[in-house]
Amino acid sequence: MNAPILSAEARELALAGMGASRLRKEDARFIQGKGNYVDDIKMAGMLHMDIVRAPVAHARIKRINKEAALAMPGVHAVLTAEDLKPLKLHWMPTLAGDVQAVLADGKVHFQMQEVAIVIADDRYIAADAAAAVEVEYEELEAVIDPYAALQPGAPVIREDLAGKTEGAHGKRDHHNHIFTWDAGDKAAADAAFANAPVTVSQHMYYPRVHPCPLETCGCVASFDPIRGELTTYITSQAPHVVRTVVSMLSGIPESKVRIVSPDIGGGFGNKVGIYPGYVCAIVASIVLGRPVKWVEDRMENISSTAFARDYHMDGELAATPDGKILGLRVNVIADHGAFDACADPTKFPAGMFHICSGSYDIPAAHCSVKGVYTNKTPGGVAYRCSFRVTEAVYLIERMVDVLAQKLNMDKAEIRAKNFIQKEQFPYTSAFGFEYDSGDYQTALTKVLDAVDYPALRAEQAAKRADPDSPTLMGIGLVTFTEVVGAGPSKICDILGVGMFDSCEIRIHPTGSAIARMGTITQGQGHQTTYAQIIATELGIPSEVIQVEEGDTSTAPYGLGTYGSRSTPVAGAAIAMAARKIHAKARKIAAHMLEVNEADLDWEVDRFKVKGDDAKFKTMAEVAWQAYHQPPAGLEPGLEAVHYYDPPNFTFPFGIYLCVLDIDRATGETKIRRFYALDDCGTRINPMIIEGQIHGGLTEGFAVAMGQQMPYDAQGNLLGNTLMDYFLPTAVETPHWETDHTVTPSPHHPIGAKGVAESPHVGSIPTFTAAIVDAFAHKGVTHLDMPHSAFRVWKSLKQHGLNL
Amino acid sequence: MEVKLDKQYPLDVDAERAWTLLNDLKAVAGCMPGAQITEQLGEGSYKGAIKIKVGPAVAQFAGQVDVLETVPAERKMVMRGKGADKGGSSASMDLTAVIVADPANPAHCVLNGSASVIVNGKFAQFGGRMMVQVSDMILAQFVENFRQTALSLPAPASAAPAASATADRPTAEAAPAASHAAPKVASELNGLAIFWALLKNWVSSLFGKRT
Repeated sequence: MNAPILSAEARELALAGMGASRLRKEDARFIQGKGNYVDDIKMAGMLHMDIVRAPVAHARIKRINKEAALAMPGVHAVLTAEDLKPLKLHWMPTLAGDVQAVLADGKVHFQMQEVAIVIADDRYIAADAAAAVEVEYEELEAVIDPYAALQPGAPVIREDLAGKTEGAHGKRDHHNHIFTWDAGDKAAADAAFANAPVTVSQHMYYPRVHPCPLETCGCVASFDPIRGELTTYITSQAPHVVRTVVSMLSGIPESKVRIVSPDIGGGFGNKVGIYPGYVCAIVASIVLGRPVKWVEDRMENISSTAFARDYHMDGELAATPDGKILGLRVNVIADHGAFDACADPTKFPAGMFHICSGSYDIPAAHCSVKGVYTNKTPGGVAYRCSFRVTEAVYLIERMVDVLAQKLNMDKAEIRAKNFIQKEQFPYTSAFGFEYDSGDYQTALTKVLDAVDYPALRAEQAAKRADPDSPTLMGIGLVTFTEVVGAGPSKICDILGVGMFDSCEIRIHPTGSAIARMGTITQGQGHQTTYAQIIATELGIPSEVIQVEEGDTSTAPYGLGTYGSRSTPVAGAAIAMAARKIHAKARKIAAHMLEVNEADLDWEVDRFKVKGDDAKFKTMAEVAWQAYHQPPAGLEPGLEAVHYYDPPNFTFPFGIYLCVLDIDRATGETKIRRFYALDDCGTRINPMIIEGQIHGGLTEGFAVAMGQQMPYDAQGNLLGNTLMDYFLPTAVETPHWETDHTVTPSPHHPIGAKGVAESPHVGSIPTFTAAIVDAFAHKGVTHLDMPHSAFRVWKSLKQHGLNL
Repeated sequence: MEVKLDKQYPLDVDAERAWTLLNDLKAVAGCMPGAQITEQLGEGSYKGAIKIKVGPAVAQFAGQVDVLETVPAERKMVMRGKGADKGGSSASMDLTAVIVADPANPAHCVLNGSASVIVNGKFAQFGGRMMVQVSDMILAQFVENFRQTALSLPAPASAAPAASATADRPTAEAAPAASHAAPKVASELNGLAIFWALLKNWVSSLFGKRT
């Protein structure tokens, strides 16, 4: 305890708390190949599962012949829906209030749907046996287009729902209709349009894409028939929710179900849902009494696990002639695939799509989203975004550009004119969100100055005037606001469980600590940043704080990591748990220093007696006292649990600007400059934020410039390999410039808003805006993604701009 | 996925012999690499099988071919083929084949084929991107076999006048003879050969004229 006397600043630096660019604790094991992923787990007597999948999108199953597969040496079982029926596990509930076939029950609804499973001694035998299972199909007409699906005579996709006119989200008016969800005030919006001097409308399609994490989905299920306990290692972003669902489905008490999410190789929304493969592996382990491993391959991951987006959107804006927006109307046809398996909060079947009024003060707004069944893979998850926020931001940012072009106004000027002003916060939008804080104009000015916006526009004008210019120049500007951190449990729940999150902190006698969380990192660096919050709150060096997540037997219950909720919700839980500990520590310190609690000041890592710098007790000394000799009337120990139910969402924002050059001969696009300013409130670890932003921008680049899931008219997915599906590498990825402002959230304990998803949400419309801007002088108001060279070249040709 | 094919193949065979051969479905199937007719179900209706291997996708289609329409005066035939394999791929094809005599050279004709092919399942997923190229190769092999088989038929000029008069109604005897005379073709498509041919086409397309 004879540490040299250091200044408060030096001690603060030594803590490596909030604001420090501390190196990631996780990386030491990852860069040495010492991570522990699901597929690394090997158990004694472990068997392997493979899945027989439907080759066609819509068909009746006439016959399944298992004989050849069962006859193969090393095959233990082949199970179909018929085998699961006695267990009532051939169908399961989805997170969206629908049901989904675990194994196809007489009918196939999408290509690559699970039809049968094979359990064998090893993965190779399982794969060979799966190929030997003969399934006879009677093909039915597939419905791929959601508009066609809503036609009166369209084939019935879900025969199991025959006669069901009430869905989980209200009335169903057609056999392929799932729900219609409205937000805002329709009458007010219609009135704004009726009297508006200027209106614009635009149809746009946000294509179906796939999060495509590097690690595919999988699990190792191990049922112990003696103890009646089930342990499952699983690629899940929400292990506690999985435990609840598994207990409900299997009838095993939740106390005997242990779900562990080990290291996860990226989730991006793809690992929120509960997939038939998991259920089948668990059933197989229960039936066979042995551990069963299932890990899907890349094609299975892209074809059969949750996709994102697939929104057909019609937007309209009403405005004054000088560009002040008066009203917004939006209609969406949402293609959900064959089962409604979105992972949105229960009351929000279109997630937070009603954030689509964006950063703008729009007096009247209404949106309507219609969910539709098609013969495609179920999903519709939040791919690196909060629920449907990417779609909403894309819509409003595109619409503002469309209006600017109609009025011949500058795209920066029209935004500034409509911003919610700094002094209007907290601001209640026409859709009812209460935006916590923001300062859009300061951020916009910073970006426009940084890139010398007027010079860019002048250069663009010169290029347009030159018929021999080999390139077209486009400038995309997006000023977006996100809604993240779901969410207040009075309006947000998943399967009835409120969307709080949790933290348990224990300070050990010698002053180090462990924190256990209800979230689970998939690359976000929780083990690094969470420790920094505790370090600052409690004055314990982050180096001696362990962060543990993902094991439902040790961690407190939490809803998991998706929708940028870790920092806004779990980060707040950490601060609140730490403050409980801090309050107890103050009592102990007062006792040790023989003063009143009120006579103590907190400084970095110690309680000091007011006015006497020499009289102090550090948190480490307090911890020892708590276990050694706590004051009378105080229980020993120094720990706390906090379940944080957020009072509101948080609203991070950003200003992104992209400059690109399109080769008029080839249609290839070169991103010349991408400037991303993010405001995520309080910044915990600037280095990790930088990494998050680079990652999100790169995934945004992937979506905008190349990702798509091409279904043909028969429902064949023609691009389910990484040969077709665009994952950018360092070769394709442009250089990113980042910047920030800090506008803390007033309702969050540490003012943090969440950051990982902003760059994805914000960058996608920026790329599209820049591409469209390159064609704007030809009257082009919108071009659908992906902006691949071929598609851009076709536009060049169509408008006579190709060389 | 759907592929539409519209092909013209000039042949150094007279129209009558080509038409005779076209009417013998069993012999025509023999010209198709990897294909065979296994059973006649009725007038103009056959059971058949074809084996195709493209990269990782192997399909052994078993199915049915029906002659929907024969117009001897136009030397036109309309067929529909449908098949599926055990691995879960299926295909259907509507084909219209017309033999057009070459007015400048009675010893030559043109085989016009237009087809709409719908492929479904694994074969579409894995082989989809090569469908057009592979179809072209298969058809090129088919046409070469067809040409050789037709040439091996007795030429109409040397045939008896009576045979010549009934040339557009092929005799039952002529057809099996044609089958016997058909050159031996591989019982399945040679994947390596296809690969090399695809590669060659691709490389030459890089330096070829852009359309």
